[in-house]
Amino acid sequence: MRLIKNILLVALFTNAFTSGFSQEYDFDIPEEEEAKIEFNGNLDAKLGILQTRKSSPFFGLQFYDVSEKSDYLSQNRLDFYLNGEYRYKKVGFFMKTFTQYAKEESLSPSFFELYGSLNLSPRLSMSIGKRRFNWGKGYAFNPVGYVNAEKDPENPDLALAGKTSVYINYNKSLTSGSLQNFSVAAILLPLEAEINQKFASADEIGAAFKLYFLLKNIDLDFMAAFRKNEPQRFGMDFSANLRENVEIHSEIGYAHGENKYLIVDDLVLQQKIDGVSFLLGLRYLNRFNTTLIVEYYHNNKGLSKNEFTSYVDYLQSSLDSNIPAIINSAVFNMSTTFRSKTLMRDYLYMKIIQPEPFSWLYSSISMFTIYNLADNSLLFSPQLSYKPFTNFEVLLWPVFFFGDNHTEYGSKQFKRKVEIWMRFYF
Amino acid sequence: MNKNRLFLILIFLFVSYVIWAQEGTTNMTEGNKILKIADENLMPVSFESYRKLINEEPDGSKKEFIFYTVKKGKDKVAMLYVSPASEKGRATLRLGDNMWLYIPNVGRPIRITSMQSVIGGVFNNADIMRLDYSFEYEATILDQTPSEYILDLKARTQIVAYDKLKMWVDKKNIMVTKVECYAASGTLIKTLEFKNVKNFGDEIMRPAVIETSSPLYKGYRSLMIYSSMKHRKLPDEVFTLEYLSRLGELR
Repeated sequence: MRLIKNILLVALFTNAFTSGFSQEYDFDIPEEEEAKIEFNGNLDAKLGILQTRKSSPFFGLQFYDVSEKSDYLSQNRLDFYLNGEYRYKKVGFFMKTFTQYAKEESLSPSFFELYGSLNLSPRLSMSIGKRRFNWGKGYAFNPVGYVNAEKDPENPDLALAGKTSVYINYNKSLTSGSLQNFSVAAILLPLEAEINQKFASADEIGAAFKLYFLLKNIDLDFMAAFRKNEPQRFGMDFSANLRENVEIHSEIGYAHGENKYLIVDDLVLQQKIDGVSFLLGLRYLNRFNTTLIVEYYHNNKGLSKNEFTSYVDYLQSSLDSNIPAIINSAVFNMSTTFRSKTLMRDYLYMKIIQPEPFSWLYSSISMFTIYNLADNSLLFSPQLSYKPFTNFEVLLWPVFFFGDNHTEYGSKQFKRKVEIWMRFYF
Repeated sequence: MNKNRLFLILIFLFVSYVIWAQEGTTNMTEGNKILKIADENLMPVSFESYRKLINEEPDGSKKEFIFYTVKKGKDKVAMLYVSPASEKGRATLRLGDNMWLYIPNVGRPIRITSMQSVIGGVFNNADIMRLDYSFEYEATILDQTPSEYILDLKARTQIVAYDKLKMWVDKKNIMVTKVECYAASGTLIKTLEFKNVKNFGDEIMRPAVIETSSPLYKGYRSLMIYSSMKHRKLPDEVFTLEYLSRLGELR
């Protein structure tokens, strides 16, 4: 009898133990939550013919080592963009790469973007890595684009390289009142590694801030940027729709202690200046589906007409000297100190876009001009785009430069150029 | 006698005016009620959906786009381009009268207008990112047949793509069947026809196909086909410029 009782007790205990064990360690096999990995990109095959301007010192310096200078040059290249992203719940990884092939040699792909992001909620997000930011409302110019890569007004939609950064953003919507949404963004910008290609000075980490408001149907931004030994910048921008087919936008930025470079007596002179740069813009759509974009840009640190003339004279005298050291110095200044796409002070940009003209399906024609108000030189470019097949586009893109010898566009190394792009998306 | 006759005529005119005004107000109130129900039957308060948009050209060739769309309340819509590859990653946002387009290469949203068409074809931005009709228009009953109401819709503000709409609503299930869109001049801009009523589940039953044609685009036809639509609660922050580049996270 005692034996039976003991067996029952052991059985009961064992059962209790095993059932407790199984409750604690049993689990349901979860449904697999798939991480999303996606790749896409495009290949641009570009063929170009350029008519040279042999009288230009820019041409003379750029092709100084070339013994026989042609009236026409051709340029053929392949631009390959590969983008990838990985998303799993709140975590994301993003990359944008760019590789250019011009001739048979080892290729060096570069990362336009390479960053990881953590989206803690729809309100709070952060990222770390190399990321592109695009501040400002302007289409061709952004005087408040303190964290932007410099935009090329000839092709404002071109993908550009980002900056190494730590980014955090808080975003909040409101359901009542005039203020519908606001966000606060802070960006830390370490310097590129320049010490032994691995290190950078820690006390020169830059910081930039932006406040965004959607206030009574107006987009409004306030921004600021700081870095040791660099100018302090403060700015604001706005954009709003006046009617269902009219949009206006503006940017205004103040910089304290901005560097302005001049040529005085064939020497590069650095000035510290304070002042305001601004942009006024308009986008208009008419009933024929024609879009007009007009922008006026005042660049505070831009060169005046006389200052630009001194710069061109400096390049010419360097070239005329025929002394390699002086020529190298001029080429260096041309490609660094004076490399800006908006070197001068006042520009007017105008673009007209007409999709499917004359009922020509999948085509689009556009014309744009960048007019330098200081020296009356201009760039004019009509464009023709045709998309006969899904994920394929062909683009014909001539560019003409007009102006006197000492003007910005009249002194370009090319008089005109025409390119054909064939773009394949995948 | 003449004075009395004049007095009677004035009384008659006054009473007629009161009745006419009353009738007009009743028509408007009734029209707005029908419009509100028609809106509710077309789109749940907060939802997500997948749509295919087909642009058919006069030569018979087609272009197709697939969108992922989320909507909340009467005036918030966000849309992500899923295909083709050339458009993938683009996103548009509409908050009331405001619209923005985000292009990954450009890296920031730009303001666009409701009259533009980011994809070409007959549908413009306002058609693709449509808000509730009752948010943008004031409705009166223009006429009715045994099976349909015909509503006259007038824009509440000037920043609306079409100044006037004429809408046919099926009486049985209060479902929109056809909409004609007019400019302020009275010119017919386009006609939208709502077809193939489909049960999407989740108590959502609505036309799965919207077909549009326009006398301004002779030979062109655009179709919008809903493949799925379901209720989804979404925070307001999804409908912000900051979130546009992250819209894919919702899929």
